[in-house]
Amino acid sequence: MGADESDLSLVRRVQRGDKGAFDALVLKYQHKLVKLVMRYVRNPAEAEDIAQEAFIKAYRALPQFRGDSAFYTWLYRIAINTAKNAVVSRDRSPIEYNVDRNSDESYEMQGRMKDSETPEGLVLTDEIRSIVNAAIDGLPEDLRTAIVLRELEGLSYEEIAAAMDCPVGTVRSRIFRAREAIDRRLREVFEGGLGRAEELG
Amino acid sequence: MKEELDSQLSAMFDDELPAGECELLARRLSRDEQLKARWGRYAVIGAAIRAERGVRLNARVASRVSVVMRAEPALAAGGVSRPGGARWLRPLAGAALAAGVAAVSILVLRAQAPQGTAIVVAPPVAVNTPRAAAPAARAASAAMSGAPGYVVPPVQRGAGAAVPAAELANYVVAHSMYSPPMTRGTLLSSFITSESGGAGAATPVSIEVLTDPPGDAPSHPQ
Repeated sequence: MGADESDLSLVRRVQRGDKGAFDALVLKYQHKLVKLVMRYVRNPAEAEDIAQEAFIKAYRALPQFRGDSAFYTWLYRIAINTAKNAVVSRDRSPIEYNVDRNSDESYEMQGRMKDSETPEGLVLTDEIRSIVNAAIDGLPEDLRTAIVLRELEGLSYEEIAAAMDCPVGTVRSRIFRAREAIDRRLREVFEGGLGRAEELG
Repeated sequence: MKEELDSQLSAMFDDELPAGECELLARRLSRDEQLKARWGRYAVIGAAIRAERGVRLNARVASRVSVVMRAEPALAAGGVSRPGGARWLRPLAGAALAAGVAAVSILVLRAQAPQGTAIVVAPPVAVNTPRAAAPAARAASAAMSGAPGYVVPPVQRGAGAAVPAAELANYVVAHSMYSPPMTRGTLLSSFITSESGGAGAATPVSIEVLTDPPGDAPSHPQ
């Protein structure tokens, strides 16, 4: 198994004309990209717009991607450039709201107004977080450690195996079982309880 | 079987699946909506564990991108095109073509020229005149209504033009004014040498002007 091999296999499919494979790349990286763009813009909705634009640019530029760097590194650069350009063009565009932009108070208020446009989104995010956290708390110790080391610390399976003193295959199994347990809780709540499954991902 | 597939998906999500299995699973992932939804939830779980500040876990980026993607053309089948390589090859191909045409013209004119006459061969390449064109070329380009920016010097066909010595000397002097200093000196001195060495002799001078520096060179003085 090589570094970035899973992304590369999806990238190659997209390059051969399989648009469905690009969905998988977007699903995998949308949160990371939004988080990255949030360094440049404060508003989550604007960050999502920029992330969307970055993904479309990446798709169009994908024929030039040769795999010299990891796909995410390449995507990361596109997102940063898109975010910088968005900030520059926003600063140049005429002010559309009737408030004094130089005033800290009004600028802050503008941010709050934009955030309040999507209260449902914020509530849903909190709900998802609490479900995931509750599901993690309910996991057996070995599964919880494995998934946390992977997702929070970003360790490879080999590193986790060394840390937990077990074979790599066991790590793979533990992480999978942890994900399945959490995913089951998510599906129960969103498909059965709230019916918002389509909003996930 | 299903569990094995999901286990592979989890490993692929972490970039821990062998390459061969990745290829097969990528193919399935791109077509199986249920598998894709699960893949998306794995991403949500990761983002929730990391508690990424400001990131909405119900982000609709993927669904919005998917809508835009419907209007996008699929990328060319057959893999990656290399426009970067083609870009730098294009001028080389053009130059090679021009050089080939020039070489063929010279060979043809040489073959047709009678022995002992001076031949002045103008390269049959387009010369961009506006930057540093000779007055004659500028006049010629002004006279041409069709393509004012470019002049293709007419090539004298049939027997090579027999140029009298005085006219030839005028030509070399006029031409040397538009040559780079290094070439100018060489051209004039070699002409003077050949003229003085051959004074009184009946040997005609043969000069072949093969190429002019593109852009900076005047078109062939008429």
